[in-house]
Amino acid sequence: MFSSRRHDGLRDVRAAVPAAAKRGIMFLSILASLLKIAVLLGLLMTAAAYLVLVERWIAAWVQDRLGPNRVGVPLTGVRLFGLGQPVADGVKFMTKGEFTPSHVDRILYALAPIVIFAAAVSAFAVVPLGAVAPPRFWSEWFDVSGPIALSIAPGLDMGIVYIFAVGSVAVYGVVLGGWASNNKYSFFGAIRSSAQLISYEIPLGLGILGVILVGGSLRLDEIVLHQARSGAWNVVTQPLGFVVFCVAAFAEAARLPFDLPEAEQELVGGYHTEYLGIKLMLFMVAEFLHMVLAAFLIVILFLGGWHLWGLTGSAEAVAWPTALLRAVVLLTKVMAVILFFMFARWSWPRFRYDQLMNVAWKVMIPWGMINVVVVAAWMEYGGELADWMNMSNIPGLAIVGWGALLICWLATSIIDPTATDNKPRPELPHINDCVGQVPRT
Amino acid sequence: MSNPQILMLSAFLAAVAIWLMLPRGGARGRWAGAALGAAALGLWLSRTHGLGHWTADGVFYALAAAAIVSAVGAVTSPNPIYCAIWFGMTLLAVAGLLLLVGAQFLAAATVLVYAGAILVTLLFVLMFAQPEGRATCDRVSWEAGLSAAAGIALVGILSAAVGSAVSPTIAAQSPQALAAGVLDPRQTARLGEELFGRRLIAVEVVGTLLLAALVGAAVIVNRFGGRRRDDQKS
Repeated sequence: MFSSRRHDGLRDVRAAVPAAAKRGIMFLSILASLLKIAVLLGLLMTAAAYLVLVERWIAAWVQDRLGPNRVGVPLTGVRLFGLGQPVADGVKFMTKGEFTPSHVDRILYALAPIVIFAAAVSAFAVVPLGAVAPPRFWSEWFDVSGPIALSIAPGLDMGIVYIFAVGSVAVYGVVLGGWASNNKYSFFGAIRSSAQLISYEIPLGLGILGVILVGGSLRLDEIVLHQARSGAWNVVTQPLGFVVFCVAAFAEAARLPFDLPEAEQELVGGYHTEYLGIKLMLFMVAEFLHMVLAAFLIVILFLGGWHLWGLTGSAEAVAWPTALLRAVVLLTKVMAVILFFMFARWSWPRFRYDQLMNVAWKVMIPWGMINVVVVAAWMEYGGELADWMNMSNIPGLAIVGWGALLICWLATSIIDPTATDNKPRPELPHINDCVGQVPRT
Repeated sequence: MSNPQILMLSAFLAAVAIWLMLPRGGARGRWAGAALGAAALGLWLSRTHGLGHWTADGVFYALAAAAIVSAVGAVTSPNPIYCAIWFGMTLLAVAGLLLLVGAQFLAAATVLVYAGAILVTLLFVLMFAQPEGRATCDRVSWEAGLSAAAGIALVGILSAAVGSAVSPTIAAQSPQALAAGVLDPRQTARLGEELFGRRLIAVEVVGTLLLAALVGAAVIVNRFGGRRRDDQKS
C-alpha cells in the first residue's frame, strides 16, 4: 500500500518536471560522469604512487634492508616513515629533461606511452564497487529510479568483454614503443612482451568462461551478486579456473615470474629502454595499473567481490553505511591480492622464454579447457548428479571442481609437458663456431 | 541539386582527393587532396540528418570523422607501419559508432578480434619484413587512379543503397521505440541466444573451418621446418 502510494507520488513529480529541467538532468548526468572519472583518475594515480612505495618497502623487508624511510614533508625535517617518497619520485620524473633520441620514430615514440596508459586507465570504467539504494530526496529531485551504481559506466551489458577489448589495445603501446625506439633491445623486449600477452589472453579467457557460465552474465556486478546470493565464492566451486586465471593475470600484468619484457640482465630495460622522464613514468604507471586491475578482477570474479559472510548481506542495493562497508571489504581483498603479487615478485625467479610458452600452451590452456568442459557439463547434467549424490548443487560442483583440479595436477606432474632437455646437442654447430659467420639461409 | 547528384558529385571529389593523396612516386598533392576531401565530406554532411540531440550528434560526427580520416590515412600513408596504426584507429572509431547505436558486444568484439589480435599480428609481420626501413617498391601506390575510382564507386553505391533502404523504416519508428531497442539491458544475451540458438550450425561450421585452417598452418610449418633441418645436417 505504502509503496504504491509512493510510486504515484513519484509519477506526479515526474509529470511535473518540465522539459527544461529534464535537459538539466542530462547535463547533470554528464557532469556526474566527468566527476566520477576525475575522482577515479585521482584515486588511481595516488594508489599507484603509494603502491610503488609499498612495493619498495616489501622488497626491502624481503632483502633485509630498511627501504625508503627518509622523505617526509617537503622543506621540513619531518620524516613520516618515508611517506613523502612518491611525491619526490613523481617530481623527479616530471622535472627530468624532455629528451627524444635522434634515431627514433618521433610520432610513434610519443604515441606509445599514451596508448598503453589510456588503455590501462579506461579498463577501470566498468569495475563496480557496489550499489547504493537512492535516498528518497534523490529520486524526487532527479528523475532517476533504481540503485546508484558505484562505477563510471554502470549497466554496460558487455562488462568483462570490454575489459578484454581495452586490455588487448595495451599490446599496441608495447609493440609501438619497442619498434619506434629503433633499438634492438627494445624491439626484442616488445616482441617477447606481445607474444606473451597474446598467448596468455587465451587462458585468461578460458578461466573466465566458467565463471560466466555459472553467473549467467558478463556484467561484473551480476557476477558478484551471484556469488553473494549463493554464499559460495567461485574459488570454492571452480579452483581450476581460479588457478588458470591467476597465472594468466600474472602474465598479463608482466609481473615476476613473468616479467620477460624487461629482463634487465638480457634486455637492458626492455621495450622502454629508450624512454625517460614523464613518458617512462607513463609506462611504469600503466604496468602498475595492470596489476591493480588484475587484482580487482581476481577478487570480483573468484573471491566474492564485496561479499563477506554475515557482514555485507546479499541484496543488490543497500543503504550507504552497508555500501561503504562493502567498498571497504572489496578494497581490503584487492589490497591482499596486490600484496600477494608483491611477495610473489621476490619469491620466484623469472621463467625462461620456452618455459613461459610451455606453461601457457601445454598446461594452462588445457587446464582452462577442462574447467570449461567440467562446468558446462555440470550446468547441463549437474542437477541429476547432485540428486544421485544426495546433496545440494554447490557442494556438488565444489567436489567436482576440486576433483578436476586434483586430476589435472596429477596428470600434469606425471606427463610433465614442460620438461625440456638441456643437454648439449652434438649434431648442431656450437655457438662459438657460428660467431662472425653469415648464417646460411 | 537532388540527392543522388550531390552524392555522385561528392564521390567524384573524394576519388580525386584520394588519388591526389596516394603516394605515386615523387609527385604528391597531399594538402590539395586533403582540401578536396574536406569539401567532399562537407557535401556529404549537408545531406545527413541529425540524431536529435546535440550530445549524440556531437559524438556521432566526431567518431565518424575520426573513422573516415583514419581510413584515408590507412590507404594513403607511404609507411606500412603507419598504415596499420591508422587502420587500428579506424577500427576503434567504428567500435565507438557501434557502441553509440547500442551494439555493445559487436563493438567490444571488433576491438578485441580485429585491433587486438589480427592487426597486432599484421604489425609483427610488417616490423619483421622491413627492419631496414626503406623499400621503395612497397612505398608507392600501384594503379593509383584505378584503385581510387574503384574504392569510391563502392563507397558511393553502398551509401546510396543504405540511404534508400534504411531511412524509411527508421523514420517510421518513434524515438522512444528506437531508444528502447538501443538501450535494452539484455542486448548481449539476446545476441548470444540468436547466435547459439537459431544459427548454431553456422557458428559450429565456421569454428570447424578455422580449426582446419589452424591445423593446415601447423602442417605447412612443420613440413618446411623439417626440410630446413635436413639441409643443415647434410
